[in-house]
Amino acid sequence: MIWVFLLLHLVGLAASAAAGWRWGIRAGLAVASFAPAVTGVWAIEELILGVEPVVTELVWVERLGLSLRFRVDAVSLLMTALVSGIGALLFLYAISYFDAASAGAIRFPVALLGFSASMLGLVLAESAWTLFIFWELTSITSFVLVAHKNTDAAALQAARRALMITAGGGLALLVGLLVLERAGGVANLTDLAPVDGTSATLAAVLLLVAAATKSAQVPFHVWLPGAMAAPTPVSAYLHSATMVKAGVLLMALAGPAFVQSATWEILGLAFGITSMVWGAIGALRHTDAKLILAWGTVSQLGLLVTLLALGTGKAVFAATSLFLAHALFKAALFAVVGEIDVRTGSRDIAHVAGLGRAMPATAAVAALAGLSMAGVPPLLGFPAKEAAIEAVLALDGVRLVVVGGAVIGSAMLTVAYTVRLLVGLFGSATGPGSGRSTVDLVAGRPYPLPSAPRPVMTIVAAILAGLGLVGYIVLQAVNAVVGPAAVAFNDSADAYELLRWPGFTFALTVSSIVIVAGGALGSVLAARIGRESAAVPRPLGAEAADRLLDGILVASRRVIGKVQHGSLPLYLTAMVATVVLAGIPFVSALSGTRLVAWDRPLQMALAVVIVASAVTGTTVQSRLGAALTLGSIGICVSGLFVLHGAPDLVLTQLLVETVVVVGFVIGLGHLARRFPDAPDAWQAVRIVVSLLIGGVVVVGLVAAGADPTGIAPVAELTRQAIDEGGGNNIVNVILTDIRALDTLGEIVVLAVVAVGILALANVRRMEVTS
Amino acid sequence: MIASRSPVVRLGIRSATPLALMLGVYLLFAGHNNPGGGFSAGLVFGAVVTLRTVAGLQRPLHARQLVAGGMLLAALVALAPIMWGAELLDQIVVAGELPVLGTIKSGSALPFDIAVTAIVVGLVVALLDGLATVAATRAAGPVEGEPS
Repeated sequence: MIWVFLLLHLVGLAASAAAGWRWGIRAGLAVASFAPAVTGVWAIEELILGVEPVVTELVWVERLGLSLRFRVDAVSLLMTALVSGIGALLFLYAISYFDAASAGAIRFPVALLGFSASMLGLVLAESAWTLFIFWELTSITSFVLVAHKNTDAAALQAARRALMITAGGGLALLVGLLVLERAGGVANLTDLAPVDGTSATLAAVLLLVAAATKSAQVPFHVWLPGAMAAPTPVSAYLHSATMVKAGVLLMALAGPAFVQSATWEILGLAFGITSMVWGAIGALRHTDAKLILAWGTVSQLGLLVTLLALGTGKAVFAATSLFLAHALFKAALFAVVGEIDVRTGSRDIAHVAGLGRAMPATAAVAALAGLSMAGVPPLLGFPAKEAAIEAVLALDGVRLVVVGGAVIGSAMLTVAYTVRLLVGLFGSATGPGSGRSTVDLVAGRPYPLPSAPRPVMTIVAAILAGLGLVGYIVLQAVNAVVGPAAVAFNDSADAYELLRWPGFTFALTVSSIVIVAGGALGSVLAARIGRESAAVPRPLGAEAADRLLDGILVASRRVIGKVQHGSLPLYLTAMVATVVLAGIPFVSALSGTRLVAWDRPLQMALAVVIVASAVTGTTVQSRLGAALTLGSIGICVSGLFVLHGAPDLVLTQLLVETVVVVGFVIGLGHLARRFPDAPDAWQAVRIVVSLLIGGVVVVGLVAAGADPTGIAPVAELTRQAIDEGGGNNIVNVILTDIRALDTLGEIVVLAVVAVGILALANVRRMEVTS
Repeated sequence: MIASRSPVVRLGIRSATPLALMLGVYLLFAGHNNPGGGFSAGLVFGAVVTLRTVAGLQRPLHARQLVAGGMLLAALVALAPIMWGAELLDQIVVAGELPVLGTIKSGSALPFDIAVTAIVVGLVVALLDGLATVAATRAAGPVEGEPS
């Protein structure tokens, strides 16, 4: 089944590009939403009907273990439901978000669907390498999405920064997976065996860094606030529900390999706790609602990382529940902020106020989602956060003090920034006890009134937020989904379930205090909105990241300037020299024992002609003469093929010679008749290089003939060709059937070459006409 | 260009065209059992098209569309078997009796070979067209990076 859905996404890419090109961005998005919608419905249906774990595989190179492996199980279906389900809703949301004539009508739907497909592949991946490929694809597609406003320098810088950090994390992931595989862990994510020793430490550090870059953990979080330059549907999708969760998913999947690793726990806790606290503080320092939510995401993901680093059954269970709850409420809140942005022209809580009266439906949706984020019943966020608090209260010693303190403290800050956000957007500035200014203090004008309603945006946000309420009501069904997924990460997670009402436990007391204290802090801070300094705080480390980025760009420009000098003769020399180096290992395999002068005397005659032509070709002064010697060599070589009984090769060789003749017909007419004179030194270099390449070819051929391994499986190939391929020309059946995948690769190379030539010719045309 | 000015060349190319096209079609279909195949056919078609273009007998083909179409067809042939649960690039052979022609055997290798042909034609056209462009613009002035 998985293949069908992935293919559907591929077809969707082409279809949405066509629709976007013909009818604009809205049509493109509508067409693009089809594949995620179908996939999401399928995943939810499977989750309800019960999951049959299935693994499917597409082998590419069997001996190297290269294959695409996907699995359907409790984890991947839950993730698929989130990625594709929320994805489909946000595609619809984006239709309403964009104006019909928005720019990027092809690029945006294709990039968004491409991202959705990459994310789908990532969550379905069974083998580590499959995961890696899709991990990188999400980095690349999200770069395109963040850079959507490609005339905005800030957006471009943010996109580059995000790419640098997440792609750098991708490198850490690659090396980490290699180390893990060498250390005896297998390349399948669902049956990783525990590893120990130095390599475990190294792998733990690398995988955690990879997860931290993707999940925007301090100090790699600097890309996330900048990425808010993306259109809001992108932020709602990538920066809340999906891409930032990839790092957390990696941690959850890789966790079983590091149960004995202290590094994993300590470094993971360090990332998680710092991000949890620093992210929540960041959310309180900003007035741009999207930035508040982005910093809130840093904080929430810090909580998830903390719980996964703890790795106890209870903590993993709480993390899985929060994963689900966070995806729903954060996507809903972003959707609300996007609607406010589109309808009022601002999303800054210092510049809008009192929207509760003007946009009551939106306000209700925001309250629903916000209270879920704060962990207030009766919403899904409440039991999930209770589970998290229970999990950290079950710790002992230093862990209880440090982790418990941080989780409870950041939970309080979360309540505070939620209250501040909701009051800031919707609270009336004139209401009793508000304390806010009745006019926009920063801009010195009244707060804006919203324009015409955009019901689709409200409805999508309402569905997402409403799911938090529905989830709380049918909590048994949520348990049936979250439970098996948590068990897949950690076997001892099956003892736990989400409770609608835990009774008057210690944890409930703690979270009541958290809500009251956080709410009070939030109200106090809300009253000060618009009175703080207007300067937007930059994330700590953003300057360093930008300097690094500039350094990379400058250095790569320098390298390219040196390497891509544009001189054709020097390129050729460099390529030939590389081939010569590659030939050196063959020297040791040389042996003359199997050398025979010829099989048939005619070969000798042909060889004489070839050598004579080659020598003539190097000395002849006229260009036409040189072309003739090349033709003579080609025809004699095809003569050798005739003697060996290879008619296909003969045919191809002769046809290639024909095309080359056509090329000479075109080219020679425009060139001088004779070769230009070259300086002696350059002439000497060329002679040396030519002799070397000739020598290497001879050495390679002799070495290859000196020690033949095995016999060519002619009989087997003949049988396969006739029985399975249904053709008598073995060569061609090999090309189109037995090794068709290789041919596919080869024609891709041909296509790339053709595209390159076309581009070069275009550049030349433009240079001449300009 | 010399070729477009010489009536001998033009006539020669014009009269050779049907023969060469027949040869190309033959190679494409014969490939399964005899020497030939998509690559060879593509070379023949490519050479014919380029010669005709150079001689001014036809307008240049669009290499881009040929390459894109070929890649699309190849991808379809490669991916289609997955839809009915077979492996990537699995070969389907069909045989049938037709009047006059006798037993006809063909399979999904044929569209795959056609895709190869389209890409090779596209490549040859792009290559020779690019060469012609470079050669023509060279006449307009010396080009950087090449010995003059």
